Amino acid sequence: MSGEILTVSGLNTSYGEAKVLFDISMSVGKGQIVSCVGRNGAGKTTLLKSIAGFLKPKSGSVTSDNTNLVGLAPYDIAKFGIKYIPQDKKVFFDLTVRENLELGSYATKDYNWDQVLAYFPKLELLMERKAGYLSGGERQMLMIGRAILGSPKVLLLDEPTEGLAPGIVTQLKNTFKALSKNTALVIVEQNLPLVCAISDKVYAIKDGTIVAEIVDKESIRVDVCERYL
Amino acid sequence: MIRGHEAMISSQLLISGVIFGLSIGSIYFLLAIGLSLCFGLMRIISLDQLLYYSLGAYLTYTVTLMTGSMWIGVLAGMAFSGVASLAVERFIFRRIYARDPTFSMITSFGILIGGVGIIKYFWGVVPRPVEVPTLIQVGIFGTEIPVYRLIVVAIACVVYIAIWFFLHRTIVGKAIRAAIEDVEHVEGLGINVSRLFTITFVIAGALSGLAGGLHAPLIMVDPSMGLETLAFVFMVVIIGGLGSIKGTLISALVVGQVVSLGSIIYAPMAQMAPFVIMLLVLLIKPTGLYGSAVISR
Amino acid sequence: MFAKGTSNMQAINALKWWGGMLLAFGLLGASRLVLPLPFLNEVVIYSVYAIGCNFLIGRVGYISFGQPAYLAIGAYATAFYLFYFGTNPYVGILVGVLGGLVMSLVVGPLFVRLRSDYFAMVNLALAVIVFYLMQKVLVGITQGDNGLWFLTRISSTPVLDLTRPNHFFIFALIVALLVWVFYKYLDDSIYGACCLATKVNENKLQFLGYNNFSIRLFAFVIANTTTALAGAMYAIYLGFVSPEMASPSRSADPVIVTLLGGVGTLFGPLVGAIAYTGMKDVLSKMIGNWELFIGFLLVFIMLVADKGIWGSLEPVLDKWLFRKKTATAINDPGTRSND
Repeated sequence: MSGEILTVSGLNTSYGEAKVLFDISMSVGKGQIVSCVGRNGAGKTTLLKSIAGFLKPKSGSVTSDNTNLVGLAPYDIAKFGIKYIPQDKKVFFDLTVRENLELGSYATKDYNWDQVLAYFPKLELLMERKAGYLSGGERQMLMIGRAILGSPKVLLLDEPTEGLAPGIVTQLKNTFKALSKNTALVIVEQNLPLVCAISDKVYAIKDGTIVAEIVDKESIRVDVCERYL
Repeated sequence: MIRGHEAMISSQLLISGVIFGLSIGSIYFLLAIGLSLCFGLMRIISLDQLLYYSLGAYLTYTVTLMTGSMWIGVLAGMAFSGVASLAVERFIFRRIYARDPTFSMITSFGILIGGVGIIKYFWGVVPRPVEVPTLIQVGIFGTEIPVYRLIVVAIACVVYIAIWFFLHRTIVGKAIRAAIEDVEHVEGLGINVSRLFTITFVIAGALSGLAGGLHAPLIMVDPSMGLETLAFVFMVVIIGGLGSIKGTLISALVVGQVVSLGSIIYAPMAQMAPFVIMLLVLLIKPTGLYGSAVISR
Repeated sequence: MFAKGTSNMQAINALKWWGGMLLAFGLLGASRLVLPLPFLNEVVIYSVYAIGCNFLIGRVGYISFGQPAYLAIGAYATAFYLFYFGTNPYVGILVGVLGGLVMSLVVGPLFVRLRSDYFAMVNLALAVIVFYLMQKVLVGITQGDNGLWFLTRISSTPVLDLTRPNHFFIFALIVALLVWVFYKYLDDSIYGACCLATKVNENKLQFLGYNNFSIRLFAFVIANTTTALAGAMYAIYLGFVSPEMASPSRSADPVIVTLLGGVGTLFGPLVGAIAYTGMKDVLSKMIGNWELFIGFLLVFIMLVADKGIWGSLEPVLDKWLFRKKTATAINDPGTRSND
């Protein structure tokens, strides 16, 4: 482990009057794949959104590279290098694949698509297609491809394999492993076998708090994770 | 009603009616585009566009008096409206983006009414005439048509093409289209959506100012012009569907023709006809011809 | 939490409400001694006008910029009756109310299906249409901008002679009180809860088996019929109607009164009406430019104090007056109960 790229400390977030996250603390190291598991409604998406700036935490801190990210606008946080990929697999339907990527380049000033196309060669074939006509797997590839422009520090992935065909899931699994060499990944997932296959660390979240932090690779197994759900 | 030997005149009336309708439709289009864009992107109903319309007209009047050229007046009107909308966006709308659209409706209505007050203060209540810049008439199919009206239609066409080009061929325009689909996703990429909002709002304001400036020679410029046009712009926007440029264009054309040709047939009904059309459209499609069904946010 | 203090809660609430009502109307009646009658009459009619709007915004979640349409329909219906047919003012008012009822039943089914922003716009369009109708299209029977004068045609009636301002005032007070009671009853009933629910979460309500459309339609009809009632009252009071009542520049009036008073609150419309009429009186003498003021007021309210006068005062008063009596959790939606 070569150093922390993202540290969350004492995070408390509420939706209006309803408190959803209670005192969450977690750390992500460079080149790590950290997974968050938990039941629906446990607060996993809220956590990612709070880190990415879409929700403003009531208290706590989110730091990366000695910069406190709490209170910054989401686009500033993304520019800083923490990119959030939401659950909805929504790309910009009316724009072509090329234009979707162009937007990513425009935001990050990174016009070199070699890396993206290396990870997702299929996108090259789909360049001129309107993103609305892509399959679920292709959309996910586009979303991730778009996000890795600008070499982000951390990717926050919200249930990336949900609803995708097993073949695509395997592809993504390998892609994640390759990605993590340059970009730390924080993955929220329900797919436990996938989590256990690639994660360096697993946090189990229940009712808005972290009930377990599994750092020992030996212990990252499906039965262990299930115990905490 | 048209009968017998008047049939010969009627074709002339018809042609001038159509052209008239096109020019009116052009004005509505310029106004409705602003409203539609603001709604599509920022989910606000910007009734204050009608204020920038009025300001555009009044500035055109004043600057025309000063310089003798109506076109300089129109440019001045556009510029002033752009600045005014920038100020309003910065100080007022920025605070209410997160609230629901009806909130913005009330607020922008307040701005509109307050603006009417400001106009009254500076220009008084007496209607102001603005001279048509050119009195040349052109013969089309045997009817004399004022060139000015054709110029208005031409300008609207140019604007439509320009907007299309902006939205489809420039990166900022594409970002705006993407944000119309989903603002959060655009933000998540690292694009400053706040700036996108401002750009869109100012474009809308400038277009509304242009509409006012162009309309000024055709009507009397008076403080309540914004409120009177308001209902028609509403109808155009609702029929076309909020948020759709294509819908706005079609709807503006239709309403323009209806008002114009309607006033040839029976004047009072001309004002009512768009309303009836609107009701009919809403019966079939409650979101307008091209409107999107969901406002989720 | 609910089981223990519920009957106490209800008793206190009823006390609060009736006490407040009697106090308010008593004050209003008593102020006859100090305040000018025209002002008071205007206030009462305005508050009836506003209560419908308040209900639409506060309980159903709909803004309408077209209330002047229904106001004018009510007024003109009454005017037509009194100008062309009869002389009894009570019948005239009834006709006005009926006019409003019919109008809302005709446009309601279409309007209510619309999204909130379309709804507001479409109502404004309606107001403009009504304006044009009265001003130009039906100029034969409405006499256009000249308006219809029928003050002299109104007959004196036994008990309360509506042609006399101070009798009218008493009548107006009674009507207003009845309207208030009606709305309070509505609010407290299941229907009132449905309205609130439809405003908050439509889908959930549908899943529970309620028909959103009928709830909204019913609310629409009630609110606009009330507005027509106000219009009818105006017609009787002034003995005169003109298209100006429906002009788009007046669309902001009920919205401002409602906001000023406090959306969805009990006394909001009354407080708002007093504040608005008062301001109009005082300020139109001082500054000629009424629009400027209204515009700024509206923006100010939206940006800063969107709870309105009464809306901001009510919780404060609540705490102050009832702090000693209720130690347990309060029924006020603004507070949180710690369970």
